[in-house]
Amino acid sequence: MALPTERITDDSNLVSALQAGDQQAFHQAVREFSPGMLAVARYYLDPSSAEDVVQETWVNVVEAVKKFEGRSGLKTWLHRIVANRCKNRLRTANREVSSEFGEALEPGIASRFESGGRWATPPRLRLEEHAELLMENGALNDCLDKHLSALPEQQRSAVMLYEAHQHKAEDVCNILDISASNLRVLVHRARQKIYLMVEDFQETGEC
Amino acid sequence: MLMCRDLARIGSDYIDGQLSTADNFSVKMHLLMCRHCRSFIGNLRESAQLMKGHADYHLYEEYLRRLESSIDEALKG
Ligand SMILES: [Zn+2]
Repeated sequence: MALPTERITDDSNLVSALQAGDQQAFHQAVREFSPGMLAVARYYLDPSSAEDVVQETWVNVVEAVKKFEGRSGLKTWLHRIVANRCKNRLRTANREVSSEFGEALEPGIASRFESGGRWATPPRLRLEEHAELLMENGALNDCLDKHLSALPEQQRSAVMLYEAHQHKAEDVCNILDISASNLRVLVHRARQKIYLMVEDFQETGEC
Repeated sequence: MLMCRDLARIGSDYIDGQLSTADNFSVKMHLLMCRHCRSFIGNLRESAQLMKGHADYHLYEEYLRRLESSIDEALKG
């Protein structure tokens, strides 16, 4: 039997190939799913331990995938395994992830209201009028990458799973072990930060 | 009455459809009257959009090789 060299686009075909121990399929899955798995691990652990856990997870998945029944979707399943392994590590090391979430407004937004609660410094730009230009602006895209990498790990992981990976809120809460309201705060704060960044970029041309 | 600052606090909940019917209605009413908050909500929505394709961790080649070879090992085992 010839090994498939083309990318498998269907999730259930990919699962069957993985269950059959197909090396190509594993290499494809590694490229596709590891960034998200790292996002989960980085929420709990330092960068190098996070890489180790993702690696251990893949080794484990070679066997474990044979029992995967597909109820949760491959990505969610992988993310859950990573999360559990991270939690075990923390438990063994007797550490906990701090959960300081708090205020819903970014300081850069909070300071823009007068004491009565109206805008003192209203939004200076309407992003939707520039949306397409923004998407195509290479310098802005670099700036966005830079700001996203600079987000606090927890915010970055939450945003990545929720916005980029389009996980349902309840799945993110489950994987990251946070309450729905804490997730709302993390997502909301990150969106405000990005908006402030774009506004600044539009005005100064600098990142 | 809902002030601009209150609305800014719950902006993402509004965008993502997480508000109660009553709160959702108050936000809609406020937005009808307040162009600043309309801009703010639009900007939040666009920011969420911008993040969709971006928030990924990049896999550097050396790490990718490491993952692939540990999988190859496990497959042989
Ligand atoms: Zn307002």
